[in-house]
Amino acid sequence: MQNHDTPTIALDGVTKRFGDECAVDDITLAVNHGELCVLVGTSGCGKSTTLRMINRLIEHSDGQIRIEGQQIRSFDPDQLRRRIGYAIQSTGLFPHWSVSRNIGLVPRLLKWPPDRIAARVSELMAMLDLDPETFSDKYPAQLSGGQAQRVGVARALAADPDVLLMDEPFGALDPITRESLQDELLHLQGQLKKTIVFVTHDMDEALKLADRIVVMRAGHIVQQGKPADLLARPADSFVESLLGGRDLGLKHASLVPVAMRMSALNGECLPDDESVLDTDSLRDALSVMLWRDTFRLLVRDVNGNPIGILHWRDAIRGDDA
Amino acid sequence: MSVRRSNMRLILWGLMLTAAVLVIPHLDVLFRLWLPDAREVIYRRDSFVSLLGNHLAIVTAAGLIATLLGVGAGIAVTRHWGKDFLPLVAQLASIGQTFPPVAVLALSVPALGFGTLPTIIALVLYGLLPIVRNTLAGLQGIDDDVMEAARGMGMSSLQRLWQVELPLSSDIILAGIRTSVTINIATAAIGSTIGAKTLGDPLIAGIVNGNGAYVIQGAIVIALLALCVDSLFERIGCALPSYDQGRI
Repeated sequence: MQNHDTPTIALDGVTKRFGDECAVDDITLAVNHGELCVLVGTSGCGKSTTLRMINRLIEHSDGQIRIEGQQIRSFDPDQLRRRIGYAIQSTGLFPHWSVSRNIGLVPRLLKWPPDRIAARVSELMAMLDLDPETFSDKYPAQLSGGQAQRVGVARALAADPDVLLMDEPFGALDPITRESLQDELLHLQGQLKKTIVFVTHDMDEALKLADRIVVMRAGHIVQQGKPADLLARPADSFVESLLGGRDLGLKHASLVPVAMRMSALNGECLPDDESVLDTDSLRDALSVMLWRDTFRLLVRDVNGNPIGILHWRDAIRGDDA
Repeated sequence: MSVRRSNMRLILWGLMLTAAVLVIPHLDVLFRLWLPDAREVIYRRDSFVSLLGNHLAIVTAAGLIATLLGVGAGIAVTRHWGKDFLPLVAQLASIGQTFPPVAVLALSVPALGFGTLPTIIALVLYGLLPIVRNTLAGLQGIDDDVMEAARGMGMSSLQRLWQVELPLSSDIILAGIRTSVTINIATAAIGSTIGAKTLGDPLIAGIVNGNGAYVIQGAIVIALLALCVDSLFERIGCALPSYDQGRI
């Protein structure tokens, strides 16, 4: 078992220079076991470079990077990468391999016996909602963007790595598919408890997924913290503008579930279409209120039973930020 | 092109080639109608079967050597350790293409002398160029993201080459070999002028003696051989990993 006191991934004074240019400048970052850490920033801020230094696709110029306490330079790069899951925006699936062969890549590199690989591939396909019957023998060219990205994530998870690196994996998907894959990632992470470093330029995605957000700018870390901390206390105007400026209030509301602000139902009767789920965010509830032109909403649980009522006064008070 | 159709095509041209080399020696009467005054209307200095065998052997030897060298060079200069030579090799491959094949043979005589071996060497040199060029195009044309993923998953450089790069560029590399061999089937005929025994013999003899029948006989067999080999390559192409990527 690993020691939970040492961070799973530790970057210590890490610098990357390309010629005279400093892409990443003296970054110190620790990602704990089971944490989903999101690096966010504008293009060229060094977030992808930072990610790719962790599996040595880019060698760092200075400082130390440790995984479970061991220097990454003490490993053979190929062996290191087989221990670390890696998913990228364009999926990078091998077009000449079927879906199941793509997913089984790393286990094959690790020389697992064939029946164990086959079992693992079907397990992953089921986990990522890809029907093995339909998809095993398809080729990447026959998949939709969302399906291809599921296969990419399954491939990254194949050898059950403790660490997962994801470089804008949902960046090229349409909003609906992106949202469903984000939900699925959160769901998976709830079960698997991987240590994930996730790169994105989309602050909404970061707020939704992250246990911790690391905001980067021009190779430096500007601020890091829990999503709610960032929203409550942006370090400077750059972080504030990344957070969406005047949208800040709504973004904050999107982190708070309706359940936290609802009050008990006492015999009031509300129309049916004016209801939200207790797991919906305040942002959704406020949107429904605006749309329906109402001050109160019925709150239901997942089974559809009415369990409470949300008043707009309770929704907008800001005491539990 | 479906597998069935390319099979049919290969069988058709193969049968026609076989028929041609076997039947032509017996067409005395037919060619007599065209050239009643000629002393001889069928080329008989060597049998067509043996000329065809020789021709094929020369082209195959040259093709194999050129493939090994060309694909090898293409791989070498796209590796990390060989990339310094990439511009040089790429340029040589393009400049070499502008040489006409006859010039290659003409230049090889003073350097290499007469006979079968110089012909093979000249064919190898000329056949290298399309193979190198296509190998480079194939390997460099692979999606960067696919290579990035291959590296990120922990494939060794050799695994990347065998399992990703070569399969994905195999159709383009094969197209280069196909061009090379097809050109060399024609060029090998010119090898007769420098003393190799090939299907060019009847052509040269026909031109020297003013005997059109010889020329026609040689040309028919060479043309059928070229079509036969071309359809063989087409059939091989259907079996490549890059052919079927689920786009049917």
